[in-house]
Amino acid sequence: MSDLNEPIKILAPPQAAQRISRRMFMGGAAGAAVAGSALLSACGEDATTDTGAAPVGEIESELNMFTWGEYNAPKVIKAFESDNDLKFTLDSYNSNEQLIAKLSAAKGTSGYDIIVPTGPFIPALVENELVQELDLSRIKNFDNLEEEYKDQPWDPGNKYSICKDWGTTGYAYDTTKINKEMTTWQDFLDVAMNEASGNVSVLESPDNAVGLWLWANDINWMTEDTGELDQCEEFLVSELAPHVKAFQSYPGGGDMQNGNFALVHAWNGDARQGILGADSPDQWKWVFPGPRTEIWMDTYAIPVGAPHPNAAYAWMDYLLQPEVSLKELEYIGYNTGVKDIQPLAEDAGVERLDMVFFTPEQVAIMESGELNSAQDRRVEIYNKFKSAAGN
Amino acid sequence: MTTDTMETADAGSTAPVPSSTKKPRRARAPKFLLALPAWTWFILFFALPVGLVLLYSLGEQVSSFVQKPDISPDVWSLDNFPKAFDPAFAPIFWRTLRISITGTFICLIISVPFSYWLATKVSPRWRGVLLGLVLVPFWTNFLVRTIGWQLILAPNGFVSQKLQDVGITSGDLGLLYTQAGVQIGVVYNYLPLMILPLYVAFERIDSAMTEASKDLGANRLKTFVQVTMPLAMPGAIAGMLLVFIPLMGDYITASLLGGAKGTMAGVLVADQFLNTFNWSRGAAMAVIMIGFILAALAVFAIVGLLLRAIVRARRRVSLPEAAA
Amino acid sequence: MSQQTAARRHRVDWTKWSLTVWGVLMFVFLFLPIVWIVIFSFNTGRVLTDWSGFGFDGYRSFFENSAPRAAVQTSLIVAALSAVVATVLGSLAGVALARRPGKWTTGFLFLVALVLVTPEIVDAIALLPWYVLLGQDANILAFNNGYVRLIVSHSVFSTAVVTLIVRARLAGIDESLEEAAGDLYATPTKRFTQITLPLMLPAVLAGGLLAFTLSLDNTVISAFVFVQGSTPWPVYVLASVKTALRPEIASISTMMFVLTVIAIGLVGVVLRRGGDSSSDIAATMTGTG
Repeated sequence: MSDLNEPIKILAPPQAAQRISRRMFMGGAAGAAVAGSALLSACGEDATTDTGAAPVGEIESELNMFTWGEYNAPKVIKAFESDNDLKFTLDSYNSNEQLIAKLSAAKGTSGYDIIVPTGPFIPALVENELVQELDLSRIKNFDNLEEEYKDQPWDPGNKYSICKDWGTTGYAYDTTKINKEMTTWQDFLDVAMNEASGNVSVLESPDNAVGLWLWANDINWMTEDTGELDQCEEFLVSELAPHVKAFQSYPGGGDMQNGNFALVHAWNGDARQGILGADSPDQWKWVFPGPRTEIWMDTYAIPVGAPHPNAAYAWMDYLLQPEVSLKELEYIGYNTGVKDIQPLAEDAGVERLDMVFFTPEQVAIMESGELNSAQDRRVEIYNKFKSAAGN
Repeated sequence: MTTDTMETADAGSTAPVPSSTKKPRRARAPKFLLALPAWTWFILFFALPVGLVLLYSLGEQVSSFVQKPDISPDVWSLDNFPKAFDPAFAPIFWRTLRISITGTFICLIISVPFSYWLATKVSPRWRGVLLGLVLVPFWTNFLVRTIGWQLILAPNGFVSQKLQDVGITSGDLGLLYTQAGVQIGVVYNYLPLMILPLYVAFERIDSAMTEASKDLGANRLKTFVQVTMPLAMPGAIAGMLLVFIPLMGDYITASLLGGAKGTMAGVLVADQFLNTFNWSRGAAMAVIMIGFILAALAVFAIVGLLLRAIVRARRRVSLPEAAA
Repeated sequence: MSQQTAARRHRVDWTKWSLTVWGVLMFVFLFLPIVWIVIFSFNTGRVLTDWSGFGFDGYRSFFENSAPRAAVQTSLIVAALSAVVATVLGSLAGVALARRPGKWTTGFLFLVALVLVTPEIVDAIALLPWYVLLGQDANILAFNNGYVRLIVSHSVFSTAVVTLIVRARLAGIDESLEEAAGDLYATPTKRFTQITLPLMLPAVLAGGLLAFTLSLDNTVISAFVFVQGSTPWPVYVLASVKTALRPEIASISTMMFVLTVIAIGLVGVVLRRGGDSSSDIAATMTGTG
């Protein structure tokens, strides 16, 4: 009954499932262009005929965004609402898988105007006709975006998406409960199974959960090696699972303050919100762990069937203004990729910028996710890990 | 077996139902046509969609993006069922059953004295008001009530702090994201569904019955056990069904209070649709969940009938008049 | 002799006393989380769970933010319309069941029973693909509309509940009144509007009210079938639970709670006037009657 090791269904179209190296990601240079042209030919004309950009028109009275949790500053949303006299509705998901599940199940009737997929998922969304082409001329502030965050390998020429922000994955621990200096993923696993046992939260996202062990063992987290993935499953299911208390994508949204956990696996921005919200700022310590970790870029895209596309364009354009972007950054704690945002944030005295901007040495150990043949396997490992944590 | 259940539930709360079946049937205007709209509604928006899910459980998942599984008859197989009951998932079904049975019995045990008190000891003047108070949580949003428990059960929350103040525990008592937390949550959430039918049953007991029992020399406890409780049995059964069935399928309580340790089958089923793109396996899990409910109800019915037979036999011996 | 009575009285008091204590404890338990929500609705912090101070920020945000207000409004509209649908369908079916039982009854009751015992999560996973099938593949555009989806989904379960309530009510009343009217040459329509309908009215009203609250409370099915933009209140709350709960959730819930108490009070008064005993009221209100 080992269905979990069974025929892997490839999530991405095979053409899109190519390896995307970190250099390509950050450089966005020649390599990207090559990958890009391959992609473009892969998702040829016929696939995109009915996903063309929406016609220009007046901003509608509503905007429905399907996004990650706590992912926009409330005052920015409020200002946009009152400027354009519209009703802004937010709904949230915890993983790209949840986003795709909802979009493909509803087949263009989801009612969302904007979605926020992570970069590597874009080709698959395009292939399955779930997102529509963007008309960049309608996003006047697009030029405010730093060049290195444009034209990414998964979406050459920003045909379907634009950068929202980017970040990494690390962890935070409660120093009142764990009296130990932690620096690596291996430390996370060790402490999780000892001092913090039963008080650990793991991200509710398959790739990140699988990454825990792979990163700790200095393996690329996008590995397609079945031996490595089997070992990873073995560890997560039989060793780590009993110590996990919950799978949470946003521990910073209240659980870090509640004392529910001693050790939380978290994205940098969410951990920062949790740390800033704690009773004393020193209670939680953020760790940027090695030897490898994740880099991700989330993007704005417009799903097929979006009822209010004009409002969606207006929103993307609005956010790319430096002042607005700074307000966003201050709240969400992620680098928005807008030109000169770092000096702006430093001048404004934004707290905990060490959790927002990373040094070149830190960036050097970050690796981007991708949709490859191991995707379904990762989801299965995660599924099993999650079930085993209950026993 | 399900119709059986229905009739038991009905008998529990409305005495006159049995008489309706005895009514002479006349062949007059086809009034059953009045039921046609409801019938159509049930077929269109219940039977067909649920039937489709059952079909999915026989089908085969094609790809993650084309979520609808292939359900053409030539791929039909039962393969999804062993996969859905894989050792990785089976414990969740057993846990769900355990939490549900425990929850149902806790509800029963704490509701019996409460409903009895409300129905017989409280003056009629106050009864209506107190009953209204019982209904208030029942009519407050389920999700919001559960969030209330999140606040209470958190390690930095009230319960934990108070217990530490009093000195019962030294460290934080983290009930949130544990099975105990889920157990408290489900008992709370489904409690009114036990209290009310029991109340109705106690309230409808003719006081002449209990007085007769006392006149015949039975003490209070004996009267309660041998006269009152058997008479309230239909109410207890209705309450247990009303609690047990939705509890087995619970999604909200488990996902809010359960964390990793308190996951229940409802969460597992939803996960297959929301997170792991496997509708076929999710459908198979749903079928297994329903199977568990039906099996539990069957066992429950058999045990109930046996108990009733035993109680009847005993009652006849000790208090023949009261039983009549 | 007198000693015996004293002892007996003492024992009576003790039983009643302990039952009363139990009763009070149960009420404390029943109201504990609600009290907590009410207290935390005055929290001024960023997240609900983290108490930082007393204030009315949460209440203010209801009047300042359109999204939660729209969600409450959607819920009320859906609840009202689905209650109407369920009351009409359920009442008709209830009359048919009580007055014209026949071979068809078994099959129909079986279906009703299935509707009632099927876990909500199963309905939820079944209905979403079904609406997509109807709306996209069969091109019945109405099913792409969020309101239609919610109203239809909510009304299915409520129809079953109303059916049983109305059936029980009519089964409890002898048909002789209607027969007498028939003997006096009243037309079937007249007989229905002048005799049957008034007789079943309390059950119809109670059923409708129950359908309304069931819809207002529905989270699981709604979360699957809703279309963004017509987000009902519980789905809005669920989305917040997944990320960060704000105090406004508690504040709005508190306001809805107060409205609920008032509504229950009113219904209680109406049913009392109608001559129902408290136990009848309890039975009808929970759908167990």
